[in-house]
Amino acid sequence: MRIRDASRTAWKGIMNAKMRSFLTMLGIVIGTGSVILLMSIGGSAEKLILSEVESVGSNLIFILPGSTKGSKFASPAALLGIVIKTLNEKDITDLRREPAFKYVTAEVRGQAKIIKGSNDSTITFTGNDNQYFAVRNFDFYKGSAFSQSDLTSFNKVVVLGYSIAETLFPNGEDPVGQIVRLKDINFRVVGVLTKQGLGPFGVDEDQLVSVPVTVAQKLMLGINYFNAVTVQVKDEYATDFAKGRITSLLRSNHRITDPNKDDFTVQTQEDFIAILGNVTGILTIFLTAIAGISLVVGGIGIMNIMLVSVVERTREIGLRKALGAHNKDIVLQFLIEAITLTIIGGIIGIVVGIGFAGIAYFVIKVVLQTGWAFSLPLSGIVVSLVVAIITGLVFGIYPARQAAKKNPIEALRYE
Amino acid sequence: MIEVSGLTKIYAEGEAETRALNGLDFSIQEGDFVSIMGPSGSGKSTLLHVLSFLDRPTHGSYLFLGKDINKLSNVELAEVRNQEMGFIFQSFNLLGRSTVYENIELPLLYSPMPVHKRKRAITEAIESVGLGEKMYTEAGKLSGGQKQRVAIARALVNEPAIIFADEPTGNLDSVSGEQVMDILKILNEHGRTIILVTHETYTAEYGKRLLKLRDGLLESDTQIEKRNTESYFK
Repeated sequence: MRIRDASRTAWKGIMNAKMRSFLTMLGIVIGTGSVILLMSIGGSAEKLILSEVESVGSNLIFILPGSTKGSKFASPAALLGIVIKTLNEKDITDLRREPAFKYVTAEVRGQAKIIKGSNDSTITFTGNDNQYFAVRNFDFYKGSAFSQSDLTSFNKVVVLGYSIAETLFPNGEDPVGQIVRLKDINFRVVGVLTKQGLGPFGVDEDQLVSVPVTVAQKLMLGINYFNAVTVQVKDEYATDFAKGRITSLLRSNHRITDPNKDDFTVQTQEDFIAILGNVTGILTIFLTAIAGISLVVGGIGIMNIMLVSVVERTREIGLRKALGAHNKDIVLQFLIEAITLTIIGGIIGIVVGIGFAGIAYFVIKVVLQTGWAFSLPLSGIVVSLVVAIITGLVFGIYPARQAAKKNPIEALRYE
Repeated sequence: MIEVSGLTKIYAEGEAETRALNGLDFSIQEGDFVSIMGPSGSGKSTLLHVLSFLDRPTHGSYLFLGKDINKLSNVELAEVRNQEMGFIFQSFNLLGRSTVYENIELPLLYSPMPVHKRKRAITEAIESVGLGEKMYTEAGKLSGGQKQRVAIARALVNEPAIIFADEPTGNLDSVSGEQVMDILKILNEHGRTIILVTHETYTAEYGKRLLKLRDGLLESDTQIEKRNTESYFK
């Protein structure tokens, strides 16, 4: 039998039972559709996270106290809430002397209640220097950052994020120049940031309460170390070179000779991106695998219906064999029918998946106002189609062989 | 054309054994019109299945156009059925959702005939049974008599050497039955060999020769005298 005749025969079989064919396809449509949808969302999420990391500022290197003990993907101890006091004032001063660095900004953190009249909120405040706002590319809605003299004179001034300012000043009065209480100390508000939204790693930048790092260390926390240091590298220097300079400087300051005994962790944005890429990659694979299961279920649906169809068409099979069809002709006919169903189902599924990915894009980007980008992995489309065809082959072969095995005499007698 | 000797077919089901055919010997010449009759269980259907290569004998030999059924593979049997034999069934066995054209095309899908010669062969077959204007009608929408004429056209399209007809008038009224038998008679007059299985005497008498079976044995083998068929259906 010619392939063209077999295809025509299979197509006729599909069109003779349109409703059943459609229902048979539905499993494949849903399976392929969810694979495409989840791969698209996974791709978009990855893009979003990467753009968030980049939005922190460019050419940044983060120094955290504590070691990751050789594992690239482990959290430095500082992120796990362990207090490590190794990053000190001398480290910062020495880092600032490096010609490769544009800015070096050190940070401390603490918990406190911030109060204005009858309004209050429990927050994490940060102690920063005045370079911090430039490194992070923050714009001011009102007022400005604190100055170098605020740092050296221990001035009790504070910069507020957009929403914490709204919480403390709900009636729309200008916060700049007003006094707020933080850890029982009166602070004068000098600036309010523009709306920043969710920052990297889920930090709500609009809740920022930032005071001069000197004030935070000496007057509020009573410490002389730092919780984190951010270095911005000059454009003409490679981050790897800068990372090497930081590492050797800190090792010499901390008198460390064995690299395995580092008491600090230096991470570039590339390191973060690699870790996040890993995480989102695993997540995408995981979600796609779940969607893949529905493809298998769809395939079993195809097999089920094809088996019913074979029984229903027993007489037709008997007739074809009596008129000269070989077993392989019958196998070919039913196999092409199954594969055609899965290919059509796959194509519809891809279109539906892209449609839903578009709807998801609209909801997440336009309604929720995020920096969501539409992503459509071409590999996902190819893989879905190939998997759909393989599903048709695998789950179509058994019913097709059952059909071919029929004895023409008995098949012709079948009522 | 057909040489049968010692033809035996035994169906074994567990311990029980049924001898559907019990050592038949006969031959059929090209151009003959043989009617096979017999009561239920006499083995006439089984004989037709073996003669038409749908089934194999348990013992004995059967040569069709010099080809030994015992020496052919299943694939070769299918090829002989496709190229040398035509089939007409009691219940028509048409594909109801397909057109008359597509139904008649069916044997050609499995034959080596080049695609460009199909249309001519199908058209000729349809016109030979007088259904030219129904070419693209769905087979399921035809009357019983028309359906059986489509089945005859399907049996003819491959230009077979022989036509096997299994109770072709069994599902038809007398007028349609007569039309179908007239067509078979004309085909025979043009040289086509026909083997007809029936339990109706008047249908059987369209043939030239009558084989009567009983309990798997040949009860009689007689020539049918030329007669005026008109009176039988009216």
